[in-house]
Formats: sequence, structure tokens, C-alpha cells
Amino acid sequence: MAVAGLLFGCRKIVPDGLETASDAGLAGPGIKAFEDEVRLAMSHTRGPMDLVRVNAPGKTTSATSDNRFGMAIDLDACDGCGKCILACIKENNIPLVSDEEASRGRFMHWIEMRGGIPMMCAHCGEAPCEKVCPTGAANHTPDGISAMMYKRCTGSRFCGANCPVKARKFNFNDAQKLGLARRFNKGVPLREKGVMEKCSLCLHRLQDDRLRFKTESFGEWRGRGVKTACAEGCPRNAIVFGNWLDSESPLVKATSGRQLYAPRELAGLDPSVVFLMGKR
Amino acid sequence: MKYMVVVFGVVFAFLMADFFWSQGNFDSTLVPGVGTIPDFDHGLHGDSIGLDCAACHTGARSAAKAYMPSKRDCMDCHRLPLTENPGIENLDSTLARAPEHPWVSKSVLPEHVVFHHGVHSAAGVNCTDCHGMKTASGGSTISRNAEAKLAVQYTASKATMQSCVRCHKGETFNDRNFKRAATYCAACHR
Repeated sequence: MAVAGLLFGCRKIVPDGLETASDAGLAGPGIKAFEDEVRLAMSHTRGPMDLVRVNAPGKTTSATSDNRFGMAIDLDACDGCGKCILACIKENNIPLVSDEEASRGRFMHWIEMRGGIPMMCAHCGEAPCEKVCPTGAANHTPDGISAMMYKRCTGSRFCGANCPVKARKFNFNDAQKLGLARRFNKGVPLREKGVMEKCSLCLHRLQDDRLRFKTESFGEWRGRGVKTACAEGCPRNAIVFGNWLDSESPLVKATSGRQLYAPRELAGLDPSVVFLMGKR
Repeated sequence: MKYMVVVFGVVFAFLMADFFWSQGNFDSTLVPGVGTIPDFDHGLHGDSIGLDCAACHTGARSAAKAYMPSKRDCMDCHRLPLTENPGIENLDSTLARAPEHPWVSKSVLPEHVVFHHGVHSAAGVNCTDCHGMKTASGGSTISRNAEAKLAVQYTASKATMQSCVRCHKGETFNDRNFKRAATYCAACHR
């Protein structure tokens, strides 16, 4: 009987630790709520940025690694559709905000539209936010990422005040308790109330790739093949992620011969995320 | 026509029986009943017949996470009569009664910490360096504290960030010539 049952049945065996996203306590708002919020945020778009020319990012003074990760956003290709914002939300479990905050245009999105241009943390080589963090929660990796250690953050908000483009977002609310957070991606922890957050340049993807590389390959890890969620989600391939110090990186190839721009406020801070305009 | 109905009825009965049977079975894997879990002896498998940890804990030497073995992993070897020992019959009946996943391990690793078993294994770190062992060579305070308990059960729950960082800085395991490892925050935290 049992053998026949085995033959006919389609038994679902879920080994420990292999449960799917739907089993992992994935309560939260539906995807529609997030899409609506992105649309609302796009209608709250802030004024245009004052873009000035910058040099291609090189090795930072403090770096001990031969990698410097960054992005370039091709403004000739970008049509400001906002799909990068949604891709970022789904990758990094960014919570919704309450209606009151939404009406004031205060969203948790790590990517914001400034005059129709997507803008996120530029991961400055001389990051002013890191210099004022009292706990060392905001710090720089040797790979050129301005990383944020949420468990170290005590919420002084000095970093947010010192960021010239206000790329950092503060969790004023306990999004989990208010039912505003949803765990789309199991690989990224949800942030607690009283913690500053911002674009991590998809740090978790780089970490995973680095560890995979170390077990499977030899030589120096250059982060080849990694893409950020926004770069993946861009239908026009306007966002290019890569390694500024690797000549084989798609980023170096996409930016060679192009002119690089950055917002005037942080042009002198050695940004890793730049904009491309004109002249191919 | 009548024949078809009978065949369909039988098939349907099998499906329903299987559905209810598997439902019950699934519950029992979550809360295994007393007496159905084989009393596994690490010493008997590891020290005396030299099985590597990764033989049962899949992924311990290659992947990020090391898994607990399922009953099928046991049966890979135990479907053969392995010894003359009369106790082996007891074992066979216990295994037959055991749920599909007799052992459940809940990871103590917080979600903001990245740990990859395979990378540490490739760097020459032994499982027992972190997981404790009855014959620990010293150097690791984790092993010594939990020595008595760990004869049967291995766990890394006594590991702290300090024990990670001390080894990454090269302060512990000096005799093993490990390469210095990364100590910047984002190497292990996200």
C-alpha cells in the first residue's frame, strides 16, 4: 500500500534549512503596496542635481585591496522609469513608510529620483558620514564600499546630517511591528528601529561571491560577474556595476572614453558611483 | 466502463491515503516521537571507522552551511549488515521507525553574520577547532569548557565573535600556521 502510495503520491519533503521563502514567516504587505509606494515616491521627486565632471575613481588612500567597487549610471540610456527602486526594495527588504510620512515625501528607499535621475549613496572614498560615526558602525571596506554595520548603529544620525546628498535613511519606526516590512530576500537582515541605513552596493552579493570564489577558484578575487540588484533590474542597462581597478570589468569598459559626472556637493569626496553623459 | 470506474477509484484511494499518510509523517519530522530517534554515537563513526564529518553533514567541507543527515544518509550504509553485533537488528528496527529527518539542528548563527564552512575548511581549519571535541589539543577555550558534554554532541554555540576575531588576528592556533584572515567589519557582517 505504502509503495503504491509512493508511486502515485507527490510528497513534498522539505529538509531542514531548505525551506522556501513562503515558509520563512514571510508575512508582510503585498508587492502591490511597494509598487504603489515607488510610484508615489517618483511623484515626490526632488529638484535636479547639479552635476559636475569628475575623474575616474582610482585606488583610495586607505585601501589595502586591489578592488574598488562602484557603479556608473548612463544618463543617455536612463529614462527614469524607477524599476531600479523596486528592484532595490525587493533585494534589500526595504520597508514601507506610514501614510503620514509618505505624504511628507519621507521614504526609506535607498534609490531616489532627483530630477528624474536615480541617485543613491556614492560610496565616497573620503566619506564624510564615516568620519562622524561615534560607534564605527559606518566604515569603509578595503574594497571601497562604505558599509553600514546595523548592529553597531546607536542612531545618533550624525552620518545622515553629514551626508551632502542625504543618501542615508533613518528607521524612525519599527517597521516590523507596524507590519510595513516584508522579507523578500532571506539573505539580507531586516533593520531595527533607530538604525540608519543606505545603499550597501549589494554588499551581501559581493560577500557571497567572494566566499564562493574562495572555495571554487584560485587567484585573486575581483568580483567578476556580480551585479547589483538595480543594475539587474534596469530594463535599459543604464546602471553598470563593476570594479574600477579591474580592466576587464564591465564598469571600466562602459566608462572608457566617456565623461564622468557627480553631484557638485560630493565631487571632491572621491565618489565611487558616478553618472555618464554625452560622447561615446 | 465499470472497469474504468473501479481503476479510477483505486487510484484515487491510493492518492488520498498517501496524502493523509504523508501529512502525518511530515508532522512527526517536526516533533519526533521518543524512542524513534537513533542514538547516534559520534565516536563509533568518527574515531573508530574514520568517517569524515562531511560524510554525513553534507556541505561541511564545501558549502556555506553544514546540514544534518536524513534517514536516507544513514541507510546508504546501514542497509547492509555491517557487523556481526546482535545490536545491529535493534538499530535496523529503530531506523525503520525513525522519521525521515531524525535530527533537527537550529543554527545559532545570527542572520547578520556570514559564515562559510567551506572557506574555513579549505583554509585548513578542522571542524573540531570550533565545534569542540573530547580530544581537543588545547588553545581553544571553547573546546575545553564544553569538553565533557561534547563527547556525544558537537556544537558551536559557545563560539563568540571574540573567538572568531582572535583566530582571524592570529592570536590563537599559533602552531597551525593559518593565513591571517580579514578583520574588517564587512568581511563577516551584513
